[in-house]
Amino acid sequence: MLEFIKKFTDKEIEYVKVKNKYYLKNDLTLSTSKVFMPGLILGEIKDDKFKPSLGLLGLLSKLTTEKIFVKDIGEIDFLFKKNLRPRHVERVTGENKIGYFKLVQNEYDENLGYGKMKKENRLKGLKDRGDFIRREKTL
Amino acid sequence: MNIFSERYKQLGEPAKTVETKQAIRVNTLKTTKEELIKRLEARHIEVEEIPFTKNGLFVLKSPFAIVSTPEYLVGLFYIQEAASQLPVGVLNPKKLCLDACAAPGSKTTQIAEQCPVIAVDTREDRLVALQNNVERLGITNCSAYNLDFRGVKEKFDYILLDAPCSGNFVLEGKMWFRKQSMKRVLERAELQQSLISHAIGLLNENGTLVYSTCSLEPEENEMIIQYALDNHKIKLEKVDTIGDEGLTDVFGKKLNKEIKKCRRLWPWKTNTQGFFIAKIRKC
Repeated sequence: MLEFIKKFTDKEIEYVKVKNKYYLKNDLTLSTSKVFMPGLILGEIKDDKFKPSLGLLGLLSKLTTEKIFVKDIGEIDFLFKKNLRPRHVERVTGENKIGYFKLVQNEYDENLGYGKMKKENRLKGLKDRGDFIRREKTL
Repeated sequence: MNIFSERYKQLGEPAKTVETKQAIRVNTLKTTKEELIKRLEARHIEVEEIPFTKNGLFVLKSPFAIVSTPEYLVGLFYIQEAASQLPVGVLNPKKLCLDACAAPGSKTTQIAEQCPVIAVDTREDRLVALQNNVERLGITNCSAYNLDFRGVKEKFDYILLDAPCSGNFVLEGKMWFRKQSMKRVLERAELQQSLISHAIGLLNENGTLVYSTCSLEPEENEMIIQYALDNHKIKLEKVDTIGDEGLTDVFGKKLNKEIKKCRRLWPWKTNTQGFFIAKIRKC
């Protein structure tokens, strides 16, 4: 997780790890072992790789300039799992280079997810907040 | 006539048709009511303020499901029935709060806008929904435990007990009348007596407990409060919101007059789902 955070910021995020999951640290505890969620979920290790949560991406968006801002059309398309093309992009802050991870932000600077720059102003989506609807369908 | 309709009639409130509206609650951690209205209207979604809640909006018209809007996905609001938005406003917690039967987290996330909250629930599948809601709304001051809250030992100044109940017909329609029975209501009431006793036990002196249900049955509401008054050192505080006074004459049984301080929402009067709210202070 720390390696992932470092791609965006040098600032620290305090966390606790329970099994393969990471949570934002807080002091809201009960004297029982039956903890389900010790705090906001930050991500998990799956297939030996760290998978960030949308909660972590939201926190990072307040700590980094590594962002790609999208227009209205880009916002909707990205939330429906489409990759970003130049027509979607309003502006890029930080490095606009191939291989860089970027947080995807709407015009209000609200986080929509993240992805990896493929070419200038083109980004392959890796996680988006449309996931919340997809999760509700499986609950 | 169904047994429940007959009971409401005996209580002086014959059931009538109810027209509810979809309701949402603004997530004030991320936006304001005014800003959200502006953004939804730009998407041709018509909303109006709920007059009896602080941050609620009725959705009058939407060209598409509101869960598919970016505003929902970035966590600017929570879909929450209007009456269900009331208990947290009545509790108005100022510091760490226990949400005793919390999942899927509508009230937990509402409390978190005001103060830190520990959520407890027995149902793991519903805690998954709570975790998703916490993540979507960007809440950082909440933890959740998978247990019966009667296993909690810590003391609190604020507790919300939105107790498991038999529900009401507004959300489920005729199906509710078909599947409910007095046996089920009385089973729930027995559980609720145990839950409220434990909740009062966890309160610090002078601490506040809000007890609520979405049931219309007096056995799950006023009679639970009567039980609490009979068995614990508590006093009731007036619940200042819409609805009628709590009943003190239930099928010929006279209850403590203090129970009038509670609030009972008859759906056909408030155009919400049925609800009951009591505010209890520990002496």
